[in-house]
Parts: sequence; structure tokens; C-alpha cells
Amino acid sequence: MQSEAKQGVACPYLIKDRAPGGAWHATLPTLLGALLALLLASGAVLAVYYNPRDAYGAVQMINREVNGGWLVLGYHNTGASLAFLALYAQLFRLLLTRGYRGPARFAWMLWVKLLAVLLLSGWLGFVLQGGAGGALSLTHASDAALTLPGFPGAVALWIFGGPSGPGTLARLLVFHVLLAACPVWVICWARCAARRARPAPEGRAVAFWPVYASQYFAALAALALFFTLLLAFAPHWGQSAQAMLPGDVLPMVISYPWYLQPVAHLAGLIPGDGGAILVVILAAATLYALPWLDRSNGAPPGRLYRGLTLLLGLDVLALGWASAPVLQIIFGIWFFIHFLVLTPLVTAAEAK
Amino acid sequence: MRVLLMSGLALGLLAGGAAQAQTPSFPSSGAFGHIDDEAAQRGLAVYQGVCASCHSLNQLHYRDLAGIGLDTAQIAGLANAVKLATGQPATPDDVFKAPAAMSMGGAVPPDLSSIVAQRRDGTRYIYRFLTGFAPAPAGVTMLPGHYYNRAYPGGQVAMPPVLRDNAVTYADGTKATQAQEAADVAEFLTWASDPNLTARHVLGIRAGIFFAFLTLVALATKRRIWKQEG
Repeated sequence: MQSEAKQGVACPYLIKDRAPGGAWHATLPTLLGALLALLLASGAVLAVYYNPRDAYGAVQMINREVNGGWLVLGYHNTGASLAFLALYAQLFRLLLTRGYRGPARFAWMLWVKLLAVLLLSGWLGFVLQGGAGGALSLTHASDAALTLPGFPGAVALWIFGGPSGPGTLARLLVFHVLLAACPVWVICWARCAARRARPAPEGRAVAFWPVYASQYFAALAALALFFTLLLAFAPHWGQSAQAMLPGDVLPMVISYPWYLQPVAHLAGLIPGDGGAILVVILAAATLYALPWLDRSNGAPPGRLYRGLTLLLGLDVLALGWASAPVLQIIFGIWFFIHFLVLTPLVTAAEAK
Repeated sequence: MRVLLMSGLALGLLAGGAAQAQTPSFPSSGAFGHIDDEAAQRGLAVYQGVCASCHSLNQLHYRDLAGIGLDTAQIAGLANAVKLATGQPATPDDVFKAPAAMSMGGAVPPDLSSIVAQRRDGTRYIYRFLTGFAPAPAGVTMLPGHYYNRAYPGGQVAMPPVLRDNAVTYADGTKATQAQEAADVAEFLTWASDPNLTARHVLGIRAGIFFAFLTLVALATKRRIWKQEG
């Protein structure tokens, strides 16, 4: 099954341009793609039974009355958790290896877009469950969005249709479904971009079948195992019991699923609902601008840079965990300091 | 007032820690746990005899009781004994009859369908709550119409202590002590919150074994192919 490089040109999607010895992390985008496909399929089933006018009751009904409904709900729930895990791992790996520089810049920007789309979709999913935290979060978000001036305000009015009310979830369901289709495109796009950005392999190329196929198969089997264990034995892992309370209960503090928690705490950096939106947009813009904030000119990542990136990973985890507002502010500020101050300084120093 | 509630909470946590040692182990808890049908059926008797006069179970139908091992005739008999607001007897396809709307000391009794999922460590919480009523410690000023409870956050709850020895008579002859009733109703409510708990765990074990085997085979295959290609 050894092929010549020219075969790779004739059949670019079947021939991988990686040399043998491929690392397991290279399967992450494929695993993420598989999880997104599962989310789409399970979401399609859930959408059939979902009722936005009685969201909490509909989820209860799917869980209790629909044949196999609890399993499909579990696929969607666990799939969302693991999709975020895969995406966060991929982003962290790109940060650690400086995989956002040079020709891979385009792929990095797509990953950031995917993060934004998934976060928005994840938040909509959280709100669509009709739980206590989701209902309050929706009230905050729609109130904030409607105070936006000009064009953003018009878009917000179009999305929410006014302050959160009985019909709001029916609108948001449409956007949840629309956004769900986006990641599939973005991920295909990102794969193409990454493939083009990679330098042509030296020496002989290796056939996709069976060499890389066997690796992907093993990775998918391991994912299925992990997925099953999580779904069966910890179906609500990373989510608070608050999510099971009906929407008419008013919680003191909103508990988001683990994958939204760092963003929610980061959003508290500027007080007020409008400030929260501003911080999230700033954070996304910062990640987007990372290829320009890095002044390394192609130098490999040094020890200091990698140490700081590890610290950033811990900082984001701590940001999600911290419940004290003071800690949230400290960890949140560190996020911006890392990218806006430390990254340009350290990369410039290491390039010398 | 806030200081009072906080100190009550702290006391409750301390006392809760002490009570935790006596909490029985539930068949439903843990990764390989399953709903104990006999305990859940006894718990149903406790719910029907005691809890149902104030708490609804709006997400459950009588037919769902097949999930804790009741057969069709038993379910039909149970539903038939319930008089709906229309004056008609209930059928197995009816939702559990809700009590008349009420307010206890300003608090509305919550629906119990998902109560175990809505509390952290829900099964044990229900047990600790139902066995946690005690005279208020010295220095705690009680709100009017409230009762002291070691397990309840803040220590003061509008629900009176309702479980006592022999509050119900069990059909299977089990001695109905207060602790037994609390444990049984906790098991019943665990099933009510998560009717698929047993099925989910069985699926996890079966599919887990399959995928563990598949992963090992896939890894071995991958190693072999890569060795040949390398």
C-alpha cells in the first residue's frame, strides 16, 4: 500500500500528507467532526419532540415518554460535552505548538470561528432546556442585547424578538438549528486549510488506507468507549443539579455547564449585561488576532512561552471553577494579559 | 437575618456531616447501582400514604409504575382507587393525581418528579432531610411556621416532620420505622427522577465491554499495520 507522491496529487482526499509515526492528537479534528455529526443526528431526533412553549416539560417528556428518548438526550448532552473537550484540547495544542502562525494562520482563524459558533450554539442549547439557570441567563442576555445601539441592536431585536417571553425559545430554536449546521462546514474548511498550509511531504507519501484509517478507527473506538462510560455512568457530568430545576425557579447564581462556565465568568469582568457582551467579543477578537500578536518570526516555541501557555490552560480551568467574584476577575484579567501583553513580549524576546 | 441563616447553614452542615455517617447505602447509588424494586414499591406506599397529600408527581403516570415491577392488574387497581377531580376513577394513563394547591408557611410544596436530580447527591439528601428534623439548637430563632432540619440549607424549613414509625403499613411485612420509610421513599423518588437508571447502567456495562474490546483490537491492528508500513 505504499504510494508515490504523485498519486497524492491525483487523489488529495485519500492520501494523507503525514509521514508515518503520526501523533494521536492529529486525530482530534476527526473526532470532533464525528461528535458534531452525532450532535446533528441526535439533535434532529430531539427537535421532532421538542416544544419551545413548554421547554422543561418537553425535555421531561423526551426523557420519560419517548421510546429511547433518554438515550438520544444522553447522546446530545454527552456529545456536546465531549465536542467542547475536543475543541478546547485542539486549541490548546495549537497554542502550545504555535500552530497558529504562518500558513496555518487561516486554519487557526477558522478554529476560533468554530469556537465562537459552538459556544453560541452551546449556550442556546443550555437555554433551550428550559431549566432555572437557562431561563435567567436568557433574561439577562436578551435584556443586554436589546440595549445595544444601532445595527447590533437591530440584529438582537431580530434574534430575540423583544424581552424574553413565552415565544423567545421558539425563535432561539431556529438559531440553534441554523448554527448547528455551521460547524460541519467550518470543520471541513479548517481541514482543507490545514492540509494546504502543511509543507509537501518529503520522500514517499503513505496511503490513507489502511495506514491512517487504522489509526482513525482506533481513535474512534477509544472515543466510543469514553463516550459510553460518560453517558451511562455520569450523564450529567460537568452540570449542576440546578439545570434540572424548572424555569420558574429563580436561582441566586446561574450554574452553566462546565464548557460555558469559563466564558460566563470571563464575561463578568465588566459589570452589567452590556459589559458582558463586550468582554466576550473582546476575548474572541483577541484569539482571532493571535497570529499578529505573536512576534516570533518563525522561531520554535521556547521554554518560557510553553510555560506561560500551560499557565494559561490552568488559568482558564481555574476561571471555570472559581466561584468567588474576586478570583474570577483575577483569572479573567490574566487571560487578557497573557495574549495582549505577555505573548508579544515573550515571542519577540525568544525570536532574538 | 442573613447572619442567622448563615449560622443555621453552618450548623446544618456540621450536623449534616455527623448524620452522613448513619446514611444507609442505597442500591441505586454508585456506577453499578440499580433501582431496588421492592424498596421502591415500599417507597410508593410512603409517597401515597404520606407525601401525596401535599406534593405532586406531575411527570409520572400510573402506567409508569411498571418500571418498579408492578404488573398491569396492580397498576389498574391502584389507579382505580384514585378519584379524579371529575369524580371519575383514574386510569393507568392518567398523571398522578396532584393535591389541591396549598401553601405551607408561605412555601409551596415542590413537585417531587425530579427532586432527586434537582439536589446534589439527591438520594442521600432526601434521606437525610426526612430524618433530619430535630429540636432547634439553643440560640437559633425560628421563623414562624418553620421547623428545624439539620439537612436543609439554612436549617429552617416550612415542611413539618411527617415521617414517624408506622406512618404506613408495608404489604411485604417490613417493619415501618422512620428510617426505613425515609430510605424507601428516597429510593422511590430516585426512580421517579431517573426512571432509566438501571437500563442506563446495564447499557453502560454491555456497551463498555464491547467498546473496550473493540478499542484493544483496533489498537493492535493499528500497531501491526504501522509496523508493516514503517
